[in-house]
Amino acid sequence: MAEMNIPDKGGKGGKTRSKKQSTRVDLTAMVDLGFLLITFFMLATTFSKPKAMEVNKPAKEDNQEIEEAPIKQSKTYAIVLGKRDMVYCYVGADDATGVNVDSVTFSRTGLRSMIKDRQKAVQDQWGDKDELFVMIKPLPESKYRNMVDVLDEMAITGVKRYAIIDDFNSIDSLIAVGSGNRLRPTKGFNALKLK
Amino acid sequence: MAKIKVARKSTAIDMTAMCDVAFLLLTFFILTTKFRPNEVAEISIPASTAQTKLPERNILLIQVNKDGQVFMGVDDQNTRLRLLDKLKERYSLNLTPAQTNAFRLLDAFGVPMAQLPKLLSMSNDDRSRAKQAGISLEVVPPKQSEFMDLVQLIRQSNEEIRVSEGRPPSDIMKIAIKADKEADYEAVNEVIAQLQQKKVNKFNLITSARGSGEASTAKE
Repeated sequence: MAEMNIPDKGGKGGKTRSKKQSTRVDLTAMVDLGFLLITFFMLATTFSKPKAMEVNKPAKEDNQEIEEAPIKQSKTYAIVLGKRDMVYCYVGADDATGVNVDSVTFSRTGLRSMIKDRQKAVQDQWGDKDELFVMIKPLPESKYRNMVDVLDEMAITGVKRYAIIDDFNSIDSLIAVGSGNRLRPTKGFNALKLK
Repeated sequence: MAKIKVARKSTAIDMTAMCDVAFLLLTFFILTTKFRPNEVAEISIPASTAQTKLPERNILLIQVNKDGQVFMGVDDQNTRLRLLDKLKERYSLNLTPAQTNAFRLLDAFGVPMAQLPKLLSMSNDDRSRAKQAGISLEVVPPKQSEFMDLVQLIRQSNEEIRVSEGRPPSDIMKIAIKADKEADYEAVNEVIAQLQQKKVNKFNLITSARGSGEASTAKE
């Protein structure tokens, strides 16, 4: 590669021989440049496109009570999200006596198996697991990630009917108090009550 | 005895093929790259199994960072200009042409409306370094919050632009929420509740694709 062309002193007079020059070019530098640019573009690019989760909230009608068909308690399942990634679930009931609250974590053996069990119970009782209605109730101190995770669990376990609910009943209040969660939102967050 | 001469091999390698590969890859990356936009807030998004793709264009991006501060951005520059006209009227702002141009190129912002001219007169570098306080969610009856104002005005501007450009009604602006996974639920919920006040009931939550590792959500 590193050859030096030493021009020969033209002695002898007469013809100068035109030297045959090699057509090969040293490409090392060009390769270096190429890889440098590749590295730059690889780092500057956003490769994985973010995915989106579509959420449809029920339309709020102003000053109009929507009468919804009541859902049988035995078809429901409430999932309360607390702080520190804790999940509390129970089968719906009107009062706190005799309610069995399970506290689980987000994992395959935790929340997902609880939902699967519940689906099975509903399947046995009503003949169709799609009758299950899941109420997702995030407490104010739970993280946004928890909500996304639960919505994701709904998609994974194939629960067809679910809703995010911001009203807390007496059982939820008991859970919140028992687990050291706040129940009321912080001051300044008031649009919930804004009519 | 004559020694057997070991042929001296040249250490030079033919670089042509390597060069070809390098430039092939380079071409690929140049063509597929889409530069990472200037991030106004540091947000790490949660993972989910959702597979829906986010639309490429015509979205209103609402960002919520870890502390619950809210930032907004529209990707269409015509909508931005129309929006700025409306903002000037609503908040009686006086802006120079330079500031208007800065707003046209601004991907996302998050300051109270009164501080908008100051933000726009900064240089690009200063702006990316400046701490923005987030758009105000505070509702002072009878007025609505600045966030709700913005949602309303952005949607109006976008609709007007759509009509003037003669695009079909199906080509409406999608609303996407990009929130930090550690953000408090109540902050995100407040944003959603205020969106619903403005009759936005359909939106996208931006998540990253979840890897095969299932345990990523469980914090152990």
